[in-house]
Amino acid sequence: MNTRYLVLELRRLLRSSRFLIFTLAMPAVLLLVFTGLYGGAGATFPNGIPVSTGLMINMATYAAMTAPLFTGTRVATERGTGWQRQLRLTPLSSTAYLLTKGLTALLIAVPGLVLVGAIGALVEGVRLSAGQWLGVLGGVWLAAIPVAMLGLAIGLLANQDTVQPVGSGLMMLFGLLGGVWVPAEAAPDWMLGIMRVMPTYWMNQVAKAPLLADAALGRAVLVLAGWTVLLGLVGAWRFRTATAR
Amino acid sequence: MTGQIRTRSGPAQHGTAPAEAAEDRGAAVRLTGLRKRYGQLAAVDGVELTIAPGEVVALLGPNGAGKSTTVDMLLGLTTPDAGRIRIFGQTPSAAVGSGTVGAMLQNGALLADVTVGEIVGLVAALHRTPLPVAEALRRAGIADLAGRRCGTLSGGQQQRVRFAVALVCDPDLLVLDEPTVAMDVTSRRQFWQAMRAYTDTGRTVLFATHYLEEAEEYADRVVLMRAGRVVADGSVAQVRAAVAGRTLRAVLPGGARPDRLLALPGVNRVDVRAETATLACTDSDAALRALLAAFPLAHDIEITAVGLEDAFHALTGRPDQTDQAGPTDQTGEDQPR
Repeated sequence: MNTRYLVLELRRLLRSSRFLIFTLAMPAVLLLVFTGLYGGAGATFPNGIPVSTGLMINMATYAAMTAPLFTGTRVATERGTGWQRQLRLTPLSSTAYLLTKGLTALLIAVPGLVLVGAIGALVEGVRLSAGQWLGVLGGVWLAAIPVAMLGLAIGLLANQDTVQPVGSGLMMLFGLLGGVWVPAEAAPDWMLGIMRVMPTYWMNQVAKAPLLADAALGRAVLVLAGWTVLLGLVGAWRFRTATAR
Repeated sequence: MTGQIRTRSGPAQHGTAPAEAAEDRGAAVRLTGLRKRYGQLAAVDGVELTIAPGEVVALLGPNGAGKSTTVDMLLGLTTPDAGRIRIFGQTPSAAVGSGTVGAMLQNGALLADVTVGEIVGLVAALHRTPLPVAEALRRAGIADLAGRRCGTLSGGQQQRVRFAVALVCDPDLLVLDEPTVAMDVTSRRQFWQAMRAYTDTGRTVLFATHYLEEAEEYADRVVLMRAGRVVADGSVAQVRAAVAGRTLRAVLPGGARPDRLLALPGVNRVDVRAETATLACTDSDAALRALLAAFPLAHDIEITAVGLEDAFHALTGRPDQTDQAGPTDQTGEDQPR
């Protein structure tokens, strides 16, 4: 690991307007829009969570999902342009390269999370204890690890041309069917079945856990760990076949 | 992908006898029995090459000759099927790890969204004993571009950034794959000035090129490759001499039958266009005497030595293909990865 490389990777992402729009602006704007539409004063979901709080948690999940996914897919671009070949002529190991990308993916999700939290607290009047804030935002952040792995796996599997549609497609799938844009509480039963396969559904469950007495935190952690292991294996396999030549 | 192939010794494990190890250390580059196949194609087919420290060597050859594959294997980017590679006695990955070798790749892209200073700074930070970034930029002649993003640079400027990236690890061996592709005449001259300054410090350089005049002007030694093999190796003068002979050109009033010219002593090839005869000679002196005896009216006689370009064509043996090997055509050597 090389800190200078990590810092440069973070700076590169912050320079990309596309990245800022999709990971910072989108969740924040959607939060304002959704709360304006559905977050009438005092409305609550059946589980007792106020609608404004629930929507904020969903947009935090969205922010925590989109940045790591976007970051990982850049691996495909760097392979396509030949930058990886250049890096192979330095002492940076391939493991350190992937670690840097993964860590970048997680760290770069922080600004979006903080922004969503700030809008929730300052604009939408979400009131949580300090412990709950930490549990919600920190929990969803850690729960994004499998998504960061997924981004890397896509980056390793796809090429420069396919990585964009694959990435956006997954983003849509997770957003719509993962209980992010359509709250799981409002979904019909058949849809809930599909949602429970998506990692984002469980990210969302982790984020809500500090607010619920009967949270299925253990199960959520188990599913997310399963995703992490699975994607890790796919990534490692792909990585080995890609480097053997 | 980015895997560094960290084999401790070459894939084909030759026993490293003490004498061999000593030879390894004495040479900047030592390639023995190097082979690489891509399916049916033997891209590199038994290359033997030793480069002494301080030599500036040009690797020449038409597209598909195996230059880029050889360079990739030398740098550890491609694993050879057989053979042994040592750079100052080290394996390619060890040489890369210790900053002994720096390279400018043909398609080593830069990051469009970072500045020149940042990218050179990053590569410096990844190496253990780098040059100061400002020094690397100065040597590559791009000190004034430090704050510019790579994506906004011209092709020639980008090549010089790649050059800075290659030399910032302060390597003993510099490998350049088609370094002046995409450069205009002025940038090319500036680039070679920067290179000269570098080689004057006694560093070893291996560069692959399509431009014969660059090899002629800047290399101490020329290695010619064709179909995965080294077909000629020596100084520019030696390579020229390998296709010994001169060209005799004369105007013969009234013309002449080619078979009559071919019958002259010392002539091995004849080309007659209108009244002008061009004779490829093994012995131009004997040919000239006989020509003047047979054609007393011959005039405008010229005798020229074979240029590197003629030597190149003669030795690589496929003039029709080498003609296409222009600077813009690079596709032939890109191997599937």
